Amino acid sequence: MPKPKIALYWAAACGGCDVAVLDTNEKILDIANLTDIVFWPIALDFKYHHVEEMADGAIDLCLFNGAVRNSEQEEIAKLLRAKSKVMVAFGACACFGGIPALANFTTRNEIFERVYIESPSSANKNRTFPQTLTRVEEGELEIPEMFDTVMTLAQVVDVEYFIPGCPPPVDIILKVVDLFARGQLPPVGSIIASEKTCCDECERIKEEKKIDRIWRPHQIIPDPKKCLLEQGIICCGPATRGGCGLRCVKANMPCRGCFGPPPEVIDQGAKLISAIASIYQGDGDDGIDRMLAEIVDPAGTFYRFGMAASLLKRKRILQDKRRE
Amino acid sequence: MVTKKITINPITRLEGHGKIEIFLNDAGEVANAYLQIPELRGFEKFCEGRPVEELPRIVPRICGV
Repeated sequence: MPKPKIALYWAAACGGCDVAVLDTNEKILDIANLTDIVFWPIALDFKYHHVEEMADGAIDLCLFNGAVRNSEQEEIAKLLRAKSKVMVAFGACACFGGIPALANFTTRNEIFERVYIESPSSANKNRTFPQTLTRVEEGELEIPEMFDTVMTLAQVVDVEYFIPGCPPPVDIILKVVDLFARGQLPPVGSIIASEKTCCDECERIKEEKKIDRIWRPHQIIPDPKKCLLEQGIICCGPATRGGCGLRCVKANMPCRGCFGPPPEVIDQGAKLISAIASIYQGDGDDGIDRMLAEIVDPAGTFYRFGMAASLLKRKRILQDKRRE
Repeated sequence: MVTKKITINPITRLEGHGKIEIFLNDAGEVANAYLQIPELRGFEKFCEGRPVEELPRIVPRICGV
């Protein structure tokens, strides 16, 4: 019987998801024994044309990491979708937009201006920006079009499974490989992680959920045994799916939501606003103003990994504002 | 006179996205070669406005290799 074929790809990503696969250490050899890896840019020398030449459905499992933020990533997502029987959004960026989707608080033009004009290392008097087509003496050069809005994989193609995390932890990766090898993958649409929240799985002592001020992490030394939120440090645990192994809170750092919203929650940030509002004790209008000021970057904190998958998806910029 | 273009896409076994286009002349020699970086995420812009103590948790995602 031929070995199942696996493809791995990175779109708008950092490579950390690919490294997480390698973090399975000696078990990567089992993965290599059980399967044929037919495309994996970080590790193997296959080109896009190799994928194009495959028959539709020739790939049994595609682990796609990274968000979709340019036309090439959209094309490759569609190509791999057509060639793959099972498409997996692998990691926070593919599932929810991840860190690259913080760009949805700004625009392509603002990014170009900052990167190619304002950055201290730029010398660009002629205001040269990336062009999708450039004519040079020898012919034409093409690069992909950068989109204004970063998208999740499922906003571009159909996706069978979601493996969240930044990056997905090794135990979940091995579980998925094992389920795949046994032909026991869960129902299509499943998010392969915990059905509880990060908060439910956290072993820190929770007493009374009432806080009268928010502290930034550098302003206090948190008690490593007590709930961070109860100590006034914004922790995204109540609005985040568990299964992560509590890597951040075990390091005395608050959760930032890389496992996305828990079951039954559509908008992670809205859930977190509701969670914090329910425990934050104000004292008159002055108290409310003070409390709001204490949360320094609410949008960038509550939607740290989830902006592309949120209800709003991006910051809305009024037409007249954009012309300023 | 350029007669042939060789495209290497993607560049593999490194971190990041890259593409190389090599133009050959009639004699089959390299007339010119271009390295292109087809992707930009915009950390320079979207880190603005984030609390400084959060940046050690954001910028490692520039490169996770």
